[in-house]
Amino acid sequence: MTRLESALAATAYQREWFAGIRARVAAGEPLALVNADAPQEVLRAMGIPYVVNQWWASVVSARQRADASLQVLRDRGYPDYSRQYDAISLGSHFLAEDEAPWGGLPRPTVVVAETSGDAARKVFDLWDELDGTSFYPIERSSAVEAPSRWWELVPHRWEEAFGPERLDLLSSEIEGLAAFLEERTGRRLDLDRLAEVMDLVNEQAEWNRRTRDLIAAARPTPVAVGDTIPSVMIPQWHRGTPWARDAARRLYEEVADLVDRGAAVAPGERLRLMWLGRGLWYDLGLYRRFQERYGAVFVWSMYLAIAADGYARYGTDPIRTLAARFAGLTDQLYTPPWSTEWYVKEALSHGVDGVVHLVADDVPGSWFTTRALEAAGIPVLEVRANNADPRGDGGTRLERAVCDFIERRLLPSRP
Amino acid sequence: MDVTTAAAALDRLEQVYSSRPGTVRALAEQGRRVIGVVGADVPVELVEAAGAVAYRLHGHPDVLSAEAQEVLGASLDPVAHSVLTQVLGGSLTFLDGLVVSRDSQASLQLFYALRELRRLEPHRAIPPLHLLDLLHLPTEPTARYDEVRLGRLADVLGSWTGQPVTAGLTASVAAVAELRHLLREVSDLRRGPRPVLTGTRVLRVLGAAAALPTDVSLPLLRRLVDGAGALPALPQGRRVYLTGSAQDHDEVYVALEAALGCLVVGEDTDWGDLALSADVGGADLGALARAYRDRGPAAATASLPRRAAWTAEQVRRSAAEVLLGVVREHDEAPAWDFPAQRAAVAADGVPSALLARQPYRVLATDLRSALGSATCEPVLSGARA
Repeated sequence: MTRLESALAATAYQREWFAGIRARVAAGEPLALVNADAPQEVLRAMGIPYVVNQWWASVVSARQRADASLQVLRDRGYPDYSRQYDAISLGSHFLAEDEAPWGGLPRPTVVVAETSGDAARKVFDLWDELDGTSFYPIERSSAVEAPSRWWELVPHRWEEAFGPERLDLLSSEIEGLAAFLEERTGRRLDLDRLAEVMDLVNEQAEWNRRTRDLIAAARPTPVAVGDTIPSVMIPQWHRGTPWARDAARRLYEEVADLVDRGAAVAPGERLRLMWLGRGLWYDLGLYRRFQERYGAVFVWSMYLAIAADGYARYGTDPIRTLAARFAGLTDQLYTPPWSTEWYVKEALSHGVDGVVHLVADDVPGSWFTTRALEAAGIPVLEVRANNADPRGDGGTRLERAVCDFIERRLLPSRP
Repeated sequence: MDVTTAAAALDRLEQVYSSRPGTVRALAEQGRRVIGVVGADVPVELVEAAGAVAYRLHGHPDVLSAEAQEVLGASLDPVAHSVLTQVLGGSLTFLDGLVVSRDSQASLQLFYALRELRRLEPHRAIPPLHLLDLLHLPTEPTARYDEVRLGRLADVLGSWTGQPVTAGLTASVAAVAELRHLLREVSDLRRGPRPVLTGTRVLRVLGAAAALPTDVSLPLLRRLVDGAGALPALPQGRRVYLTGSAQDHDEVYVALEAALGCLVVGEDTDWGDLALSADVGGADLGALARAYRDRGPAAATASLPRRAAWTAEQVRRSAAEVLLGVVREHDEAPAWDFPAQRAAVAADGVPSALLARQPYRVLATDLRSALGSATCEPVLSGARA
């Protein structure tokens, strides 16, 4: 159970919001399902209800329905071992109503995703086969150049960071998406409204940056990563709303209060750990078990950190500014040297003693990330598991590996 | 070697295929500029216009280092592991540059790994690198983006070879168009009513052409096509259309044809017929951009329905008796395509089978089992047929 009021409030809001989405769709409104790497702010500005694919996958996984959802795909001949994180929502669509979490995801009117990886778009091609559902694909361009220290460039100097070619492309595609949505839903994109949405997203990002900086500097750690993940991520799914901006501020105020009161996740904190990779959705309690046994606290996850550094974009043209948010979002996390420089920067600023690096099948660049951290003097444990698929003994194996890492590499170097 | 018959031209091209690195190295030693390319998205027209030989890099199951697998991670198509093995092993130091296309995640990650290794370990003999981020959605924004990327590639190639592409582009576009035309004719020699080439030999000819300059390959191909009527007809074999992962070596073809008595009459992959699918409508970057945007449909960059429609059309055209999918582990896209491909050919009464999650070296016994299980049923119950 989380100790953060902001997390409890966000979780409660999420249920209420989703019930509202279901009611709006039942009343005849359109619904969009969007991948996390798609420019959702367009939908927000157009007033189209939407659900983020990865969030729904996390709900399905947390309710232990991921396995059943993947089995649906397997039964239809599709590879249940590929793109699981993208495909769970699709599989869950075919579960019986009483099996689907939260009453189930209504059938979307439109699905929007980038053509990322080799196969992500195939999942959305399959959504497109459903009656009444249309897919709008957006190109995923790749980083040909990689200027140093992206986190300093992207808020204002994003033309320099991503290059005009990628921004020209994505700007055109956002305009195309808006026209597609207008045609499908009858709703129009107002650029002034989009600018307001962008302002709210930037305010939210600034609160997240303050929270991240606070946690990085605090000793002992005032809040566990498992607690901050819902406080950060649920508002991320609502980016561009006053509620999301205010939720980010509430998280900051709550963490600041904990710091002021000298709160500690683990009294007698001995080791500070970084969890590098996606969250382990089916076993969020894993993060706590090491603090009880070793005084080892996970002080960092990418969810707050990328929310702090990755999203803020300032500019006068809201469409091009929005393009700058998404043109290289995944490069920031996964393309060396962008990703490696940033992980090292974050590890050093948080004063971590070691890194547990979850290496997923579909996450590139891991070797360079581990190497960069080790070169900076930070021990790294690489573990291999799929964060959304509970099948197999990944959790137990992972726990044993972390214990071994702490005992063999981290504790001996402690005074 | 003086090549005067189709059979001799065929022999020569097969020799080139089996000794590609050595053949290309010899060209470099003779003073020719050589650019390595990864993927079928790199326009050979630009490389030749810059005065260089385009050598399309390939892997082999016997060329896999632990280091390459560690650097790229095990969860990637092993073709990338094998190419990285060659680059890090120093066997490609004769390249004047290396252009990697983003035709798949494996290629993209190969580029990022090479770029980072070149930065971190400058003592390694990694050639100059360039990423060609060529995209494929059928839209105008994508065409404009591709044109900019091709313009940048042209600049880079010119800087590597010292020869700007502008002067030579008209001639190279014409030469490569003839090359594709001849290669399509070669490929057709296996699927008519009287086949004279096996799929294995077609694969080798296409592979050889991807390692030779057109001034060397065109005379050989002309000789082969012009004299094909004199080649002996092949015995009948079960006509197999191959889908799934692109086969960058010939072992699957050899197993299907030499061991199992089949004839591979076509394939929708980038070392086969799909590599010939670009039709360039002019000698300028805009025409190249549109042609390469629209080439394919390749599994990693095309939609699922477009793939299924193309495969079904080619299966009909080649009078295939069975559709066989052979998909390597970690080559993600083809396994998603297969159910729709299967349904599309089943509508014509053609059975199909899928051999999924395969290692780089596919066993003939697994191919035999898969072919034995071919069916028109719409749904598979498991990853393996």
